[in-house]
Amino acid sequence: MSRFVRTRTEMEGRYEDVWALVDESDDTESWAPDAALSLVGRPVPRQDGAARAAGRARFTVDVRLAGTLHAVVLRSPVAHGRVRSLDLDGARAVPGVRAVIGPDSELSLTTRSPLLRGEPGYAGAPVAVVAADTLEAAHAGVLALALDLEVLPHLVDVEEGLREQRFTADPTDEARGDAEVALAAAEVTVELSLETPGQLQTALEPHAAVASWEGERLTIWVSTQGMFAARDELARAFGLRKSDVRVLTEFVGGGFGAKQGAGFEALAAAELSRIAGRPVRLVNDRHGEQLDGGRRAASRQTVRLGASRDGTITAIDADAVIGMGQGGWMPPVLIPARTLYRCADVRALTFPVKTNLRAQNAFRAPGVMEGTTAFEQAIDELALALDMDPLELRRRNHTDIDQVSGSPYSSNQLLACYDRAAELAGWAARGELREPQPDGLLRGMGCASQIWWGGGGPPSHATVRLDSEGHATVMTGIQDIGTGTLTSAQIVAAEELGLPLAHVRALGGDTAPNVYGPIAGGSQTTPSVMPAVRSAAAKVRKTLLQLAGDVFEIAVGDLEVSDGRIRSRDGAIDVEVTEVTAKLGDATIDGSGSRGPNPGGFVVHTFGCQIAQVSVDAALGEVRVERVVAVHDVGRIVNPLTASSQVEGGVLQGVAFALTEELVVDPTTGIPVNAYLDDYKIPTIADTPEIVIDFPGIADENLPTTGTKGLGEPPIIPTAAAIANAFAHATGRRAVALPLTRDRVLEALA
Amino acid sequence: MTTYARPGSVDEALELLLEDGAAVLAGGTDLAGQIDRGISAPGLLVDLQDTGLGGIAPDGKGLRVGAATTLADVAEHTLLAPYAAVTTAARLAASQLLRNQGTVGGNLCQHTRCWYYRGEEWNCWLGGGDTCFAQIGDHRKHNLEEGDCISAHPSDLAPALAVCGATVVVRALHGEREIPLLDLFRRPTADNRSLVTLERGELVVAVRLPAPPDASLYLRTGERQAFSFPLVSVAAARHGTALTVAAAGVANIPRAIDPADPLAGLPGHPQSAWKRQVLETLVERALVTLRT
Amino acid sequence: MEVILEVNGERHSVVPSGRRLLAVLRDDLELLGTKLACGEGACGACAVLVDGRPVNACLLLAEAAVGHQIVTIEGLSVGRAHAVQEAFVAEDALQCGYCTPGQVVSATALLERTPAPTREQIHEAMAGNLCRCGAYPKIERAILRAAGSA
Repeated sequence: MSRFVRTRTEMEGRYEDVWALVDESDDTESWAPDAALSLVGRPVPRQDGAARAAGRARFTVDVRLAGTLHAVVLRSPVAHGRVRSLDLDGARAVPGVRAVIGPDSELSLTTRSPLLRGEPGYAGAPVAVVAADTLEAAHAGVLALALDLEVLPHLVDVEEGLREQRFTADPTDEARGDAEVALAAAEVTVELSLETPGQLQTALEPHAAVASWEGERLTIWVSTQGMFAARDELARAFGLRKSDVRVLTEFVGGGFGAKQGAGFEALAAAELSRIAGRPVRLVNDRHGEQLDGGRRAASRQTVRLGASRDGTITAIDADAVIGMGQGGWMPPVLIPARTLYRCADVRALTFPVKTNLRAQNAFRAPGVMEGTTAFEQAIDELALALDMDPLELRRRNHTDIDQVSGSPYSSNQLLACYDRAAELAGWAARGELREPQPDGLLRGMGCASQIWWGGGGPPSHATVRLDSEGHATVMTGIQDIGTGTLTSAQIVAAEELGLPLAHVRALGGDTAPNVYGPIAGGSQTTPSVMPAVRSAAAKVRKTLLQLAGDVFEIAVGDLEVSDGRIRSRDGAIDVEVTEVTAKLGDATIDGSGSRGPNPGGFVVHTFGCQIAQVSVDAALGEVRVERVVAVHDVGRIVNPLTASSQVEGGVLQGVAFALTEELVVDPTTGIPVNAYLDDYKIPTIADTPEIVIDFPGIADENLPTTGTKGLGEPPIIPTAAAIANAFAHATGRRAVALPLTRDRVLEALA
Repeated sequence: MTTYARPGSVDEALELLLEDGAAVLAGGTDLAGQIDRGISAPGLLVDLQDTGLGGIAPDGKGLRVGAATTLADVAEHTLLAPYAAVTTAARLAASQLLRNQGTVGGNLCQHTRCWYYRGEEWNCWLGGGDTCFAQIGDHRKHNLEEGDCISAHPSDLAPALAVCGATVVVRALHGEREIPLLDLFRRPTADNRSLVTLERGELVVAVRLPAPPDASLYLRTGERQAFSFPLVSVAAARHGTALTVAAAGVANIPRAIDPADPLAGLPGHPQSAWKRQVLETLVERALVTLRT
Repeated sequence: MEVILEVNGERHSVVPSGRRLLAVLRDDLELLGTKLACGEGACGACAVLVDGRPVNACLLLAEAAVGHQIVTIEGLSVGRAHAVQEAFVAEDALQCGYCTPGQVVSATALLERTPAPTREQIHEAMAGNLCRCGAYPKIERAILRAAGSA
């Protein structure tokens, strides 16, 4: 029996009340925290690893359809301008050009905002798109457009935008208690102002789409983290039924938040394909991707803290000025200030400044990462002012209650994370690092805490089909953008089915089966999808055992299945699963499962602590991260192998945020100067510190059936703050802006 | 439409290079980027791979390094081991992939990495325009000299070869000339924005190294731990008691540095002045090492 | 003009038309394992072997590759290359997998020349192959594992 329940879902801190479909016959019980599981919790190589390693994985950019046209985007070469002339017909006259669209073109699609703008508001903004038989012909078509722009005044300086009160939305003032009074009354106060850089997601596969129509049905490959969001967006834009849009995204070459839904590329490719009557492939070139793929917004934050001498935080007053670009959802920069520690008197002001850059968008832990970077440095300044161990200060202000809602956390192992990280890092001996070092470098160690959502929720569905050969296929709505979540689904299904891993395969990346999964973002895939997979697999197992009972004329309750064998409790029966499934012939055993709601009365969050050790060559302004210890509480770990990969990846992006990555915008023209991979420095293998990883790994008993939380975001959140705190520990100075490039380090040390 | 030619000899290549719009293609690692970013639009690419310009051979008391020798070969060749500055510079340059492609001649003649010069949205002074956007914009990675252009020279090899006393063999159809390595370079002027002293039709065919110095080294600072152009780098060599120092990243071109006064003539610009301390430190460390 | 390219031991007649080797491999020969990511030699996703040495196919003019032995990821499935791929899977030295073909090409070339590389040698040989997912710790382990198994 199915019924609707009203529940609350969360994505990156945005809550929404929704109806969730609940299967009342689903009696899957949660795995006990100490349950003896045979596969879950053991390292498993990816089910598609061999395909990826052999170059057989087919990404959107690899899709080849007969008769495909190649699309090239004409982008604004100025930060703000108005099209004076654009020769669409000139472009159409170029040999090989089949379709051209510009700001004034009549389109069959409708979107909330115009697809192309006659008044581009940032360098790299799409102005027109040309589709042609070859890439070369499309480029020739773009040249023939002979774009003439009137250059309009631009604004890229966030402080100037603040002075002029140019906002993308009203500034927000989130307060509880009275921070001002509490600050005035505090025995100890500190204040810290810091800047964090704009950071580009830089997925190596750029945004890309290949669109193909058959009548009023659209099939489209999109390099996206959200294929269902893309499907819905395309259906809406073209006035189609959802079932007439099929989005495929089997392999995605990284996303990191930048690839939400259909995006400009899929909409434009579908439109051009409709016009030309042929498939269209639109792949951003790297410059276009770095200009228009997205960005973590730069911020300027000020944090004021008050505390009593014993280290109790009594006041938090934080403000954040965010360089939004042309708009976008306001990143929750001040969430760490509002929730990380127990405090009754808090004020958080956020100013979303409108600038002539692309609208900022999600980049792994959007808002919270840059907010943590500033707030956790302020906490270290407070520790210094109190002459208190920074970890001890954090322990002293720990809370098991969500400070905004007043509800308890469903689980919280942060204190255990502190202890474990301290042990792994040798925190107790950190003072020795400040003694003269044999290599002449300065050394220091710093810590930072992590808070993020990551509880997942409905809706999420899965189906499991067991065939006569005893092999199971798990259909999910997962986009495995490199996280390994499909392999996790394989593991969970095999565990529940009692089948060997090799006999189970998990599928995703295709909307056609209409088995829904959430966007691969917000650390929600694992906590949302795994319970649905388990529920579907449990139904198949139940049916299998019922059939076995029929075959062997034995009560179902006396049978169990594990490792591909069906056994009776008395040991009389011990046969391969195929003894039963072979009798299916061409029939299959099917089960479908859905994700139930999170229990009411709790707030679900993930927690963690990282400790970084750095060395500083003071004369050369060079900072190296020598080691990062990362301990994160994300509930039960399904696959420690891919989980550690997630942590390594997050830590490395955090290291780069702290040391090298920064979108640099020319003040004179408002155009980014380093929107290429040669000047925008993402880390190399030689920049990789030793990364030591551990998880408490304790299942969250308040979460449905698997006790798992998400891990995508947590590991990037505290890294930069821990590094900056280690830098301050090593040098006694704090840089006013990240990243810690040589110029900034030398200035801080001067 | 660009045409491609693969001459079988240097003379044949020199003939082709006299054609309008002809450009030298060696490793192509810099040229490809120039073409893609619209900095160069050669009509004819003259590929040197069959001209016999690769290879490292004894040459009197020193060595002759063909201009088409790859950076990887320079880094690994045993004959070059006594020139530690040179092998270190080659080993730390770029990436293994680029070192396998890029050549000695190309490394010396490469264009600056200035983001305005390379950027598709600007037509800067060095590229033939009127404005040095770096001077009015973001020049944190730029040079320390006064001038119409404040771009920095990115060659790792140039300062290393210079302090080892290298000369450059330049050939044209009418003959050959040999010049001290640093004389290959010139500061751009209003009427000639080129950074090299090559005349039309001239080709760098080899670098000659005299007998090795008593000791030499190369120190560099980059933007990350590997695979970045040098922000500031210093090469130094000791011949007996005489010390020679040269640097990259501090001027339009590779520059000789006075060991006794390394910052002379290098005042810096507001955002690039931080390089002065780095340069001074690298020179100091180089000299300490060479003296001991 | 038509030229002959020798790719993975087979001779192919192609018309380069001024294009780079990467475009010819992907668009004409449909060897799609070699990836385009930056197009300017800054990432290594397009790494292929030319006469045994890894280079960036995005920078190399297709005509300049005539007369050389080109090996792409599709040609790397036996011997040491196979061991490298197995080690990448076992160590989880890949996440999204987009850079992985280039990583495997560079790692295979490294092990051919340096069968037992040090950590520093791995860094020198592999720094030109960027991985945005950050699989580096495991890439290093996979190379050491492949070295040990060879």
